[in-house]
Amino acid sequence: MDFAFLYDTLLTLLPGVPLTLKLAFSAVALGAVLALGLAMMRLSGLRALDWPARVYVFLFRSTPLLVQIFLIYYGLGQFREVRTSWLWPFLREPYWCAVLALTLNTAAYASEIFRGGLLAVPHGQVEAARAAGMSRGLLFRRIVLPVAIRQALPAYGSELILMIKATALASIITLMEVTGLAAKLIAETYRAIEVFIVAGSIYLVLNFVVTRLVLAAERRLTPHLRPAPVAILNDGGAA
Amino acid sequence: MTAVPAVRLTDLRKSFGPLEVLKGVSLEAHEGDVVSILGSSGSGKSTMLRCINMLATPDGGEVAIRGEVIGLTPTRHGMRPADRLQVDRMRSQIGMVFQSFNLWSHMTVLENVIEAPIHVQKRPRAEAVAEAEAILAKVGIADKRNHYPAHLSGGQQQRAAIARALAQRPKVMLFDEPTSALDPELVGEVLRVMRSLAEEGRTMLVVTHEMGFARDVSNKVVFLHKGVVEAQGAPGEVFTNSTSERFRQFLAG
Amino acid sequence: MTIAVALTGFVFGSLIGTLGAWAKIGGGALARGVADAYTTVLRGIPDLLVIYLFYFGSSAVLTPIGRFFGAEGFVSLPGFLAGALAIGVVSGAYFTEVFRGAYNTVSRGELEAATATGMTRLLRFRRIVVPLTLRFALPGLGNVWQQVLKESALISVTGLVEILRQSQIAAGSTRQPFTFFMAAAVLYLVISTASGWSLSRAEAHFTRGLRRA
Repeated sequence: MDFAFLYDTLLTLLPGVPLTLKLAFSAVALGAVLALGLAMMRLSGLRALDWPARVYVFLFRSTPLLVQIFLIYYGLGQFREVRTSWLWPFLREPYWCAVLALTLNTAAYASEIFRGGLLAVPHGQVEAARAAGMSRGLLFRRIVLPVAIRQALPAYGSELILMIKATALASIITLMEVTGLAAKLIAETYRAIEVFIVAGSIYLVLNFVVTRLVLAAERRLTPHLRPAPVAILNDGGAA
Repeated sequence: MTAVPAVRLTDLRKSFGPLEVLKGVSLEAHEGDVVSILGSSGSGKSTMLRCINMLATPDGGEVAIRGEVIGLTPTRHGMRPADRLQVDRMRSQIGMVFQSFNLWSHMTVLENVIEAPIHVQKRPRAEAVAEAEAILAKVGIADKRNHYPAHLSGGQQQRAAIARALAQRPKVMLFDEPTSALDPELVGEVLRVMRSLAEEGRTMLVVTHEMGFARDVSNKVVFLHKGVVEAQGAPGEVFTNSTSERFRQFLAG
Repeated sequence: MTIAVALTGFVFGSLIGTLGAWAKIGGGALARGVADAYTTVLRGIPDLLVIYLFYFGSSAVLTPIGRFFGAEGFVSLPGFLAGALAIGVVSGAYFTEVFRGAYNTVSRGELEAATATGMTRLLRFRRIVVPLTLRFALPGLGNVWQQVLKESALISVTGLVEILRQSQIAAGSTRQPFTFFMAAAVLYLVISTASGWSLSRAEAHFTRGLRRA
């Protein structure tokens, strides 16, 4: 194994990491807001809100992300209205196109995860909150949301990892994040296996960190699922 | 009664980790015997039954089926069967009925019953089907033969499981608490089938909590307590004048 | 073409997944370690990177072998094969987890009953383990298939002419990229809806006897 080359490769690819993370986190943050809206639409019980959300989720989940990226980056320019609108300075940029596509895509998946979390809130707990005189807003903020977030966290953690992996597709519309740099390096050196090992390791490290963070968040948010401390058990208070 | 016992267990030992479940159990069942094995939970009675067809491998002692000793080789952790083919052949001659029925859920009742005759014993399909239908009629669920197990009541499932065991033309039948998972009103139909099998002269070893069955149907009762045989004999003797204090406590409790 | 790549990849993947699940369930420490490493790595790495590896990496491996046998210049896998292999390796990780999860759902008692009738390991595997596992795996397999279908879009990157590639070429030549990519999207939509529909039919067929009527 040629360690000098591996080291050089690492130095070439590392500058792509900030862009990878920027893409992933902007998309995840924006996508979460959109997803919450979609999940609420689905759960509103109003057909006029439910159906558009349903169609949105169906469309974005059953077409490849790559097609979505191409549609936005290459496709939108077809329309003169788009080219002359105030949005064009953004939609001309591959970066914003990638963020937009990733956001729209993750929103579809995340909305289903949120919906599942919201549905999993036990009815009795909601009723208890109502009985305590909570307003709808307060009920949602204090009871429903915290419980739903805990329920949804494991699935959302996998979605975060999928998003980090998905940023690799941005390289196809010329963005030089980790995979983009790797592809360029492969084209220059024809040493695909070594480049793959280094690039793959970078992603594994990123995803390992994300997994750890999600696990830590899960632990913080679910003290009731941990074994009860022994002292309390002896007091007879925990049972 | 033949000279060679259908099942002979000699000084059977079995531990799960630090827990010694069987501490040297010996037992003989002859052709045509119906042996009821009693004991509180944790007494080792199910483990003993499972050692007979090697679903649990003993750590020590000997299992012999119709005089043929099942070969065991020592390993780091205990024993394992020396000859897997011997164990498979022996198992195909022993029918087993489980507490939780364990019917194969992807097959209909009939398919469950003909599975082993066709695929293990390599009997012709037509013959296996004809025999299976006769057996299903005998246990009273002929009309359910094309149903899937999930669509039957517990009692019907257990009778199907008994039919499956019978279809193996077993030399010995093992019953592991066959009525314990059933609703009380369904116990009777299963016990009736078992009683008729006993009357046919089949060799049966039955782990059970049904005192009525033990007293009236079986010709031998074995009481296991903490991994040893605490009392055994004909039900008349054991139930009326057993010297074992523990057995009297067990009957009372 | 999309379907051919996806199908071939799917078959490769299911073979790898069977091996992987077997290693994780019944394998020794070494086999289990390898399988664990495989699924962890593949689930953490972008699929595009894996496709690059097979497309460009294969020539690095094959060219010296080709030289040895007297071939000249670069030898590489055809795009179709490289793509199908890459998809197989990626989806194999998902298959492994689906099969393993399904096997764990199979009731121990049903397996024990098979052992008790004297079935050999192979017979038990064929007659009891496989049908029961497949039944529980079906919903998961449906998800894997939908994923594979979408992944086949990535193969366009390696130069294989399939739906996406075709629409890219057409888009370039007609200057109506939106229309063409939209057509590609609609085609994927149709394929995935159709396969989703047939999957739920298959599920209904294979899970008969699973629920109470």
